[in-house]
Amino acid sequence: MLKVNKLTKVFLSADNKVSAVKDVSMDVPDGVFSTIVGKSGSGKSTLLSLLGALDKPTSGSIEVGGEDVTRMGDSKLIKYRRDKIGFIFQNYNLIPNLTALENVTLPMEFAGIKKEERIKRAESLLKQVGLDLAKQNRKPGRLSGGEQQRVAIARALANKPKLILADEPTGNLDSATGKIIIDLLKDLARTENTTIVAVTHDEGIAKQAKITFTLKDGRLV
Amino acid sequence: MGVISRGVKNAFRNGVRTTSIIFILALSIAMSLIMLLALKTVDAKISSVKGSIGNTITISPAGVRGFEGGGTLLTDANVTDVKGLSHVVSTIGVLSDRLESASTNLISSIEPGEFGNRQKRQENSSVSSNNTSANQSFTMPVMVSATSDINSLSSLNVSELTLTSGDKIDASSSENIAMLGKDLASKNGLSVGSTFKAYDQDIKVVGIYDTGNTFTNGSVLMPLKTLQNLSSQTGQVNQIVVTTDSIDNLSSVETAIKDKIGSDKVDVVSSQDQSQNAVTPLENIKTISTYSLVGSIIAGSIIILLTMVMIVRERRREIGVLKAIGSSNTKIMAQFISEALTLTLISSLAGIILGLIFSNPVLKIMVTNTESSVSTGGPGRVMGGGGGAMMLKIGNGTGNALREMHAVIGWDIILYGFLAAIIIAIIGSAIPSFLISKVRPAEVMRAE
Repeated sequence: MLKVNKLTKVFLSADNKVSAVKDVSMDVPDGVFSTIVGKSGSGKSTLLSLLGALDKPTSGSIEVGGEDVTRMGDSKLIKYRRDKIGFIFQNYNLIPNLTALENVTLPMEFAGIKKEERIKRAESLLKQVGLDLAKQNRKPGRLSGGEQQRVAIARALANKPKLILADEPTGNLDSATGKIIIDLLKDLARTENTTIVAVTHDEGIAKQAKITFTLKDGRLV
Repeated sequence: MGVISRGVKNAFRNGVRTTSIIFILALSIAMSLIMLLALKTVDAKISSVKGSIGNTITISPAGVRGFEGGGTLLTDANVTDVKGLSHVVSTIGVLSDRLESASTNLISSIEPGEFGNRQKRQENSSVSSNNTSANQSFTMPVMVSATSDINSLSSLNVSELTLTSGDKIDASSSENIAMLGKDLASKNGLSVGSTFKAYDQDIKVVGIYDTGNTFTNGSVLMPLKTLQNLSSQTGQVNQIVVTTDSIDNLSSVETAIKDKIGSDKVDVVSSQDQSQNAVTPLENIKTISTYSLVGSIIAGSIIILLTMVMIVRERRREIGVLKAIGSSNTKIMAQFISEALTLTLISSLAGIILGLIFSNPVLKIMVTNTESSVSTGGPGRVMGGGGGAMMLKIGNGTGNALREMHAVIGWDIILYGFLAAIIIAIIGSAIPSFLISKVRPAEVMRAE
């Protein structure tokens, strides 16, 4: 269960304060595919960064599996990001000089999983997301956008996280590939009981979600 | 793929950049190595010069100058006493005498010339103003010197001595044997095995030598005991040549000698100026190398630091992603340190090769420049030997000291160089990667 309570994030710029997220409270049960929608600048990505502990909130709390993420120290945060969260970015954010397989093994390496095991699991995940075996040893630059996003999803699943946070996962993909990726995420939520929170401004995707949160000027509406 | 291998792989991510970094860093490391090498070579040379050039002290009876002046002859006991002083490496007793025509059948190979005749006229006029016959039949006396160490050129007051025939005399012998300067031997038709008369005794010629100096090539060299016996000066010397372990100790040894024998009984002259002349240009090279070494180490450090700052800034987003997927700050730092070490090790290898190739030419250039800057100091001087010793010519040790320098690269220098480069690489990569890894992932990713 993901439980967000009165979450606020204020950015301090030169002269004024900008509240990107204001007083957001939300609950997402386990194994649910949910979306956050809103216009550009509404605070969707900031909220997702806060949920993934990539940033610190100004106030409020985020509970994942009963633990308050906002109160965690540095070493606990590293473990949280590594073991509990899987991140999928709009522009994939794969490491360019590593192969698809190496990119997927990376989170497992950080978790201290043995080399043989992580390679085996990475191959299995890449197969699961539908990347051809022949392309597993290609670097991201030699993969299409859809293929790169598949690798990114496989990487997000590497350490079997309970929560997957996806920031515009289909934003750079054509509609056909986008549909495949969304189906993949929905399938994961159903089969692995993984909670998925996806940021999107695609209403078609939002309609497929069990829960949709709409943000406007940093507030839930 | 582990953190280390990922760092190594990252070092070759951009071929042009990697080549440029390695090239610049290699030059800096080569420069550091060359300067470190120059510094060590010069340091070693300074120690060697201090221990070999100008580290001698000459003790003469007080008031003696040539064969003029007074003073009481020194004794073998004085030689032994001085030898026992600290910082004294060796002592050599020297005795000199003049063989007038009445005491030898040798004819001097040195013509009196205008200067000698004038001196003789002045001597004679003080005895008898009407004696003119001395002016016409005047011949120069033959100089005879004896030493307890025939191999010590400083005790013989010559800069070189080459045996042209026969053998060197045994300096510890008391037999009636001698070595003759080549001019004196030629003038008297003597060769090895011949004999001549001196002090009413037959003296056997065992060797002929050449010093490259007219005065000393017209002289006789004998074992110390032989001359002491023949000239009835048993156990006496008129000069002691003392060698110290370093020119740094000349002054203290000089004081100790005066304390031991008595400052009113001896004149003590050290060759500190000569050694100073030799050491000054070396000190100049040392200063240049030290500054250049510090400069090149700073330059190398800045290159590594700026390179890593540039690389880390360039990969801010990647660092953010690594943190987002669970990497610790330590692993991020280790990756960048490993990348910096890879670049540094390759650069070090190239730098060492460049250093090996260019160390001697660079040292030569430094020596040439320093030599020309000190050449106005004069090439050496001719001075009178105390206690009636031969005239001596002290060659300029400076030029030789500089010209004889060769950089020798030892494993220790290579090791120091490697260690320095590695430490700089670790610090240079750890600082920027540590600072960036402390930033929250969202901040670095948002900054892109």
